[in-house]
Amino acid sequence: MRTTLRSGLTTVVALSLAALFLFLLGCPAETAEETVTRDTLTIAIGAEPESLDPVNMTSAPAATVGEHVIERLIYMETDGSLVPMLAESWSANADSTVWTFNIRQGVEFHDGEPLNAEAVAINLRRFVDPDVGAAYAFLLGSVQEITAVGEYELELRLAQPFAPILSHLSHSFIGIVSPAQLEGLSPSDAIEIPVGTGPYVMNAWNRGESITMSVNDNYWGNTPQIENLVFNFIPEASARIVALETGEADAIMAVPPQDADRLDANPDIDVVYETSVRTIYISFNNVREPFTDRRVRLAMNHAIDKQAIVDGLFGGNAFVADAPVTSAVFGHTAVGPYEFDPDLARELLAEAGFADGLDVTIHHPTGRYPLDATVAEAVQDMLADVGVNATLETMEWSSYLAFTAQPPESAEYEMFMLGWGTVTLDSDYGLFALLHTQQWNPNGNNRGFYSNERVDELLSAARVETDPATREEMYAEAIQLIWDDAPWIFLYNEGQINASRSDVGGLIHHPLENLSAWDAFFID
Amino acid sequence: MSTATATDATQVEQKRKKTSEFREVLKHVVRNRAAVAGLAIIGFFLIVAIFAPYIATHSPTQTSLVSRLQTPSAEHLLGTDELGRDLFSRMVFGSRISLNIGLISTLIGVVVGVPIGAVSGFYGGKLDIITQRFIDIMIAFPGILLAIVVVTVLGVGVQNVMIATGIASVPVYARLVRGSVLAAKEQSYVAAARAAGLGDISIIFKHILPNCLAPIIVQSTFQIATAILWAAGLGFLGLGAQAPTPEWGAILSNGRAYIRVAHHLTTYPGLAILFMVLGFNLVGDGLRDALDPKTR
Repeated sequence: MRTTLRSGLTTVVALSLAALFLFLLGCPAETAEETVTRDTLTIAIGAEPESLDPVNMTSAPAATVGEHVIERLIYMETDGSLVPMLAESWSANADSTVWTFNIRQGVEFHDGEPLNAEAVAINLRRFVDPDVGAAYAFLLGSVQEITAVGEYELELRLAQPFAPILSHLSHSFIGIVSPAQLEGLSPSDAIEIPVGTGPYVMNAWNRGESITMSVNDNYWGNTPQIENLVFNFIPEASARIVALETGEADAIMAVPPQDADRLDANPDIDVVYETSVRTIYISFNNVREPFTDRRVRLAMNHAIDKQAIVDGLFGGNAFVADAPVTSAVFGHTAVGPYEFDPDLARELLAEAGFADGLDVTIHHPTGRYPLDATVAEAVQDMLADVGVNATLETMEWSSYLAFTAQPPESAEYEMFMLGWGTVTLDSDYGLFALLHTQQWNPNGNNRGFYSNERVDELLSAARVETDPATREEMYAEAIQLIWDDAPWIFLYNEGQINASRSDVGGLIHHPLENLSAWDAFFID
Repeated sequence: MSTATATDATQVEQKRKKTSEFREVLKHVVRNRAAVAGLAIIGFFLIVAIFAPYIATHSPTQTSLVSRLQTPSAEHLLGTDELGRDLFSRMVFGSRISLNIGLISTLIGVVVGVPIGAVSGFYGGKLDIITQRFIDIMIAFPGILLAIVVVTVLGVGVQNVMIATGIASVPVYARLVRGSVLAAKEQSYVAAARAAGLGDISIIFKHILPNCLAPIIVQSTFQIATAILWAAGLGFLGLGAQAPTPEWGAILSNGRAYIRVAHHLTTYPGLAILFMVLGFNLVGDGLRDALDPKTR
């Protein structure tokens, strides 16, 4: 019994200490003295890349870290324009089925191997190799043949015209690594530390902690001014902020909206608000009762006060979605938003036979997107107002992705929250992958089993159509049909909030959720 | 006639003895200041829990995005949370959940654990060996870990948290009662009962267990405190009560993200958990001292 007393007392002491700690945390932090040596830039991000092997990369954090080391043929500027990277120029034949890329000359990989057309071809072939099973192989799904036709001339043959091919080639995951690194690599093997052509050379990956890089003195472009670059992984947002405030980190990504104002008031810190191309939605399981009834789906769209979520939770640093893709994306047409009208929602539910209410389950991630769980709770309460009794269920991110990837017959979910960043800035990536019938689980990312014959026709036709004006018309019609069908509760387009120390300049905050440091410098 | 009078006299004697025993314990508890403080704390939370709807100033679940993250004011006594819900009202209703979890899970532990321990201790032999090895396995897991395993199997939610923390406390009772029964079954009153022709079941439940009550009561007081703490821990990990249930651990966990801008969201639930656990621990200590003849 003495032990119980002691453990009871220990608990009390521990709790008191915790309370004291919490109180101290509430007090303003003192400005710590600058400890960072001036030749190292430290960036703290929330999630660790799952891999930096191009064929295994799947997330924005992986793209952010990876693009400092490995480069792709084409780079997408912050304004969405496509500019040469490892390809100096490109051209297509009359029907856009044969593309020729002139590879940049005089570029060397970090291991001294020369970059040439064959090196690129080896990488692209690996990317589409079914035995390798690259997660984003679909980016090059239309490519039939990859040939190095000259020392610096690469030819891609397509089965049929594929309009967004160039923006797909600008995707961060199609990075080119040294062929020496791929030699003798079996299809199931992965590269741990990629050897690319980028402005920084990756030195070490301390799992769970950091990735360190040093400048590539042999870089083909402008050599970065800062000698060393470190990416720290700090999942807890509050800890990330403390790291910035104390100078342990020079820049951080994903500042929670509620902390932005406080950070902005600190003269040593700059807060950067940037748009993003990510749309957050709650999808219905469109083949499951009662979500097969359009009135139910419409009702829930009308029940949610999107503006209140954007203003209240995000402090205005987000935008109510007016289409399934954001306005920066090619093909976007504003068709919404659904008006917030609880009375209409109740009416629609009553018409659908749910005058007495309806029980649903909403699955949502926690911590993957800013305020995701909080938004889910806000939605739950708004739905309750119109008689929809929603139960919230959350899961760890990788199990969540697996759970929502079930084929229709075994899918156990009713409604689920997800986000999608259309990082190619082309509607094909945002609409085809999420809403085409061909892309139903397990073939693609249509996890809500939406299906509309006319939408399928339009999305398929827009892929092979080469005239931009015609494509825009096709997407406009498809977006209107999708909107009217309401397969999702369309919520909002995220904004990004990053922050950096005021003595750091030249960081690129990219709408594609990348933070790039190759042009960064210290302000003395 | 004389037999009847004798029986009556014995009953009266027993009753008088019971009452005096109770008084004796009460006297010791009341003399122990720490225990009285503990009782006062528990009493306070009990009143809050019972009269929650009258004490709360707002609905514990009604959100209001325009008035989120407000600091304590006359309108919102403890401020508002990340969805603009009134923290005071959530804390008040949260006391119900914590007390419920503490009491019900302990009851589960007692109802399941005590018979297992009693039977195992009374019969001994192979049954005892098998049961105790099984209990050893359960004890090998730290209680909170066992509770997490059970919640993972059953799914999240308040009910399952009660079951999980209840199951996690079963080995504690089984082990405790087995020890007491082992000592008690050698007593002469057991031999007397057996000589009187009583069956095993009634010997265990009518004669042995009543004599093992003291350690069970003391253990239960501590167990309530532990269960409340485990439940808060599960809530903190997102495995306990689900949104929008105002469970203290969950409120604390949600508030963590806002610690720099609205520390009231973590301070108050933290203090509430602290005091409730402290209350039960103090009473447990007092009861143990009062029930132990050596410390009187």
